[in-house]
Formats: sequence, C-alpha cells, structure tokens
Amino acid sequence: METSFAITGKGYVILAADTTSARSIVKMKSDEDKIKTLSPHLLMAYSGEPGDTIQFAEYIERNIRLYQIRNNYPLRPPAAASWIRRSLADSLRSRKPYAVNLLLGGYDTTTYTPHLYWVDYLGTMTELPFGAHGYGSYFALSLLDRYHDPEATLEEGLATLRRCIDEVSKRLVVSPGKYKVKVVDKDGIREVEL
Amino acid sequence: MAATSVYSSPGFDFSNQLRNNFLTEKGLPLPKATSTGTTIVGCLFEDGIILGADTRATEGPIVADKNCEKIHYITESIRCCGAGTAADTEFVTNFISSNMEMLALTHGRKPRVVTAMTMLKQYLFRYQGHVGAALVLGGVDATGPNLFTIHPHGSTDKLPYVTMGSGSLAAMAVFESGWKANMSREDALQLVKDAISAGIFNDLGSGSNVDACIITANHTEMLRNVEMPNQRVQKEKTYVFRRGTTAWKKENIRDLIVSEDVTPVGTEAMDTS
Amino acid sequence: MSIMEYNGGSVIAMVGKDCVAIASDLRLGNQALGISSNFQKIFPVTDRIYLGLPGLATDVTTLRELFRYRVNMYTIKEERDIEPETFAHLVSSTLYERRFGPFFIEPVMAGMSKTPSGGYKPFIAATDLIGCLNFAKDFVVAGTASSKLYGVAEGLWEPDLEPEDLFETISQTMLNAVDRDAYSGWGVIVHVMTKDKVITRTLKGRMD
Repeated sequence: METSFAITGKGYVILAADTTSARSIVKMKSDEDKIKTLSPHLLMAYSGEPGDTIQFAEYIERNIRLYQIRNNYPLRPPAAASWIRRSLADSLRSRKPYAVNLLLGGYDTTTYTPHLYWVDYLGTMTELPFGAHGYGSYFALSLLDRYHDPEATLEEGLATLRRCIDEVSKRLVVSPGKYKVKVVDKDGIREVEL
Repeated sequence: MAATSVYSSPGFDFSNQLRNNFLTEKGLPLPKATSTGTTIVGCLFEDGIILGADTRATEGPIVADKNCEKIHYITESIRCCGAGTAADTEFVTNFISSNMEMLALTHGRKPRVVTAMTMLKQYLFRYQGHVGAALVLGGVDATGPNLFTIHPHGSTDKLPYVTMGSGSLAAMAVFESGWKANMSREDALQLVKDAISAGIFNDLGSGSNVDACIITANHTEMLRNVEMPNQRVQKEKTYVFRRGTTAWKKENIRDLIVSEDVTPVGTEAMDTS
Repeated sequence: MSIMEYNGGSVIAMVGKDCVAIASDLRLGNQALGISSNFQKIFPVTDRIYLGLPGLATDVTTLRELFRYRVNMYTIKEERDIEPETFAHLVSSTLYERRFGPFFIEPVMAGMSKTPSGGYKPFIAATDLIGCLNFAKDFVVAGTASSKLYGVAEGLWEPDLEPEDLFETISQTMLNAVDRDAYSGWGVIVHVMTKDKVITRTLKGRMD
C-alpha cells in the first residue's frame, strides 16, 4: 500500500515515498517517482487515487512554476502550502474532487528554516516536525515520536527514516518494497540513496 | 470561489453542498443544529394579546442556553414567538422585521399583523419546511388584536388562544381549562404564566424561566423573566483554585497599550524660517 | 461518528471580572489517529477579539481565511476595528448564509468590547454550525468535549474572577474535561484578555 514519510531536522526536510504504482491487486510499476520538485526549495510527495494524483500534482507544479516565471521569485513554503490547500479545498466542492494526500517539504531561504506541511484530500493542513500518509503512518508516527530530533543532522535524520522504512517493511502486511528519498535544504533539492 | 467579491449575492450559499453530500456518502452523518424544543403560547384578552415563552435552548439532550429569548421583535406592536430550529426562527423573524419596517417607511403607516403573517407563511412555504420555524405571531393593529400560528410548511391558523412547540400539549391543557373570552389583564397574564410553567415542568424540551409580552393598542410591555421558578441557589462553597495550581510550559504576554518614547535628536530648534 | 468528530477538538470561553478567557486543546486527528499536537484552533481577529473554531479541520482553515478577509474589508471600509458584538453577528450571518450546506464548525468568541464611557467590558458568544447566536453571561463551550465542558464549567465557574483566578478556573475546566474525551487533548492553550494585555499560556497536560 502507498506510504510516504517526511522528517524535518536541523536545516533540512527529508521526504520519502514508496515507488510502487498499483491498479487493484496488480503492481504496474516499481520505480514511480511520487515526489515532485515544485521549486528550487520545495518538494511535494503525493499519494491517493491513481490518476487524480498525477493530474493534481502536475497542475500544482505548473502553477507554482508560473508564479516563479511571472514574479522572478518562487513562493515561500508557507504561501505555497496555503495555495495548494486552497486548491484542494475548492476541488472538494466540485463535482469530481481530487482524492490526493500531500506532504510538502520546503526550505525558506529568507528565514533559513525548514517547513513541513501535512495536507489531506479534505484540505486539512498543519505544519509538523514529522508526518506520514498511508498505512505506514500507523507504524511510523509512533516510531518518530520516540526517535525524532529537530536538531538532528542529515545523517541522523536519514538513520531515523531508515528505522521507519524497516519497521513498515517488517510489520505491514502489504508493505512497499522500494522508496525514493529526497532532501531539501539551503543548497536546494537532491535525491539520496539510503 | 464566490468569496472573491466584496458583495455577496442575496439568498443562501450552496457552495458547500457537493462536499457535504460527498462526506455524508462516506458514512459521516450530518450533525444536528440547535433546536428550541419549546413551549410558546399566545392568547387574546380584553384589550389585546399576551405572548409567552420558556427560555431553554437545547442541542439534542444538552441544554445549550438556559436563558435565551424566544419572543422576537417584529414591530413595536407585533411580536413573534419562535420554536424549532433556533437559527431559523432568529433569522426569519429578523428578516420579516426588516421588511415590516421598510413597509412602514414606504407607506407611512403601521403595517398589520396579517401582513407579517402573510410574509412569514409565503417565505416558509417557499422553503417547503426546510426552514424549520414554528411561530406564534401576535400583535395589535388598526383592525384590533390578531393572533396566529404559523407552521414550518407555511400553513396558518387564526385562533383566540394558541400553543406551539414540544410543550404545546401541556400548555394547551392549561388554556383549555382556564381560558375565557374577555379576560382581564391580570387573569390572562396568570393563565399564560401557568401555561408556560406547565411546559417548563412537564416537557423536557422546555425549561428555566417564563418570558411574557403584553401587547395592547397603545403600549407593548416586554416582561423578560416574569417568573423564575428555577433559580440556582447560592453555591455553599467557592471552588476557586489556589493560584499556581495549573502547571504551564510557555507564556507570552501581548501588551495592548502602545507606548512610545520620544527621544529628541540634537538640541537645536528646528529651522522654520 | 459524525463529521464534527472527524478531527476532534474543543474550545471554551469564560467571563471574569473585567477580563475574558478562551482556551482550546491542540490535537488534530484523523478519527483515532493523532496527527498533530500543535494545531491551533484559536485565532486573534483584532487586538481585542479572539475566535475559536472547533470542528472539521479543513473548515477551521477555510473559515479562518474567510473571516480574516471579511474583517479586513470591514476595517478598511469603516476605518476602525470591528467590535465584538458586530463580529459575532458577522460570524452568525456568514454561517447562516450556508444554512443548507454548512461549514462543520461551532465558533466561540471572546473579547473586550468598548463601553460608551471609554472603558472595556468582557464579551463572549458562541454559535451552532448554522449561526444561531448564544450570548451567555458566564461561559460558552463547543467541540467534541462540549458535554464534559458544560458539566465541569457549571461546577467550577463563579462570577467576578480576577484574571489570574480565571486562568486557573478555565485551565482546570479544560484539562479535566479534555481528559474524559478521546478526541480532544494533546496539550491545551489558554488566552486571558484584560483591558490592556493578553496573556497566552501553553499548559502542561496529558499527552494520551
């Protein structure tokens, strides 16, 4: 089942999402990238109804990009999160709402702080030190309650993420096999191999 | 969304409807609004009308307000008691009150009770009972005293004594046994108090105090809490906690007094030449 | 399980002697799963009005934005701050406008309103989800722990409490009510407003 995690640490946010793309009981693909780069310092992990996810993620991606082209600077993470939430809340009031859950990780280059937002398909949004979506969240959240440290270095943060992934692999019946992990910090965005 | 305009269009906004249907289909039932399980009454007497109401507002089994006002202002000499969905009675009477004032201003004379009754019944009929207001409308106008009941679907009755709400049966029993034509003011007020009290003590949806309103040709007297049979007794002990009982982690004090210090820069007087 | 219980959360407001207090829990949940222990439900509207929005979390944010917009428009047009009584009616009519497709929120307001003599008088109010106003003289409650809050507040509240005593009373009311509600808790925040300052405290509460 789809699972995504996010952890903030000292000056960074780590996002991890599984790479399976499933239709019904069939695994269609095992190297799907479900973390989009919205701007030089903003990442979005998405999960939910297949089709809706990609459609919505691309819509967001293009509009955030459009803002940057028009204004010569990107939206800061809180502003971007607020706009994305509103897009989901408005969509929920339409005839065919997007069923998409998001984790938004960004680094605010003006205040030098990492931000992580947890957003669900209802338009519920909250800023968190760590968050998760999917069945994995039931295991990961309790684990992160114990091991998360907001002052942890990137190496320690990745070690904590490793624990989450291992725990989910060990205990979840329908656990995903592979994860894609991305980090955003003052230097921008990069993919990390665990 | 519609919110981008400064001016919102009149009437109801249905922008949440699709979402709410979607949530309901997911198996999350819609919550209940505050309703006034109520006793409201009205009766004619020799020179006018007396309206009465209890003061309890309920939210399911919870008493949401122990002393609310259910006798609403329509005009100086017309008042309206409301039962049913609390927000509906509040807004429908406010709306009709505004329209009655506009009517008085355009025609330069006092509008009649039947006018208010017609406006209310047409409004309620238009919403087919979805605006859940059950009303007792009373007042004195050029034609004399008038008393009506208006049901949520828009039907009306004109009677010499009426009751409505969940306590209507208890109150009607009192009226049936005690009401006579051309009663005196004192007798009629006592009868109304008794009718409301019957509701307060025998109906669970009604409670607390008695409100009454006496309307005559040239005077309207609003008797708020004429009877208070359920006053709370003085607590025998105070339950104030010793300061410092509650442990707290963080404190932030926001000063609302803006203070500024003016530091003069330089000692020379400003050159104003 | 109603929509009102989906995310959990409760708010209470109380009147004291020349002061008011408003408190809420800090939990955001997805039914039984806790998501956040720092989800604010109380927002400052003006210097002297605080608004609590317990209910469905998506509507907490949507309504907070809607009221900020409407209050800003009012402030620009009127060139003055909105008074608590006026704001209460703004809240009420905004919710009643959506009578047949409501927001799943039961707002609670607390503030200090100006008197003609230039002083300040405590003010509290609450509405149901379709905007029926309740101006109480003692306390108002809303949210998933409302039934418990009614009971505890009814027992503990008394008239003319000084700000520091009101803080203790509202804090103990909130902490004890929330401990008996599975969907509320995970920390409590309290705001006590007097005529010249607002004291905000985060309480030490149970985290289960």
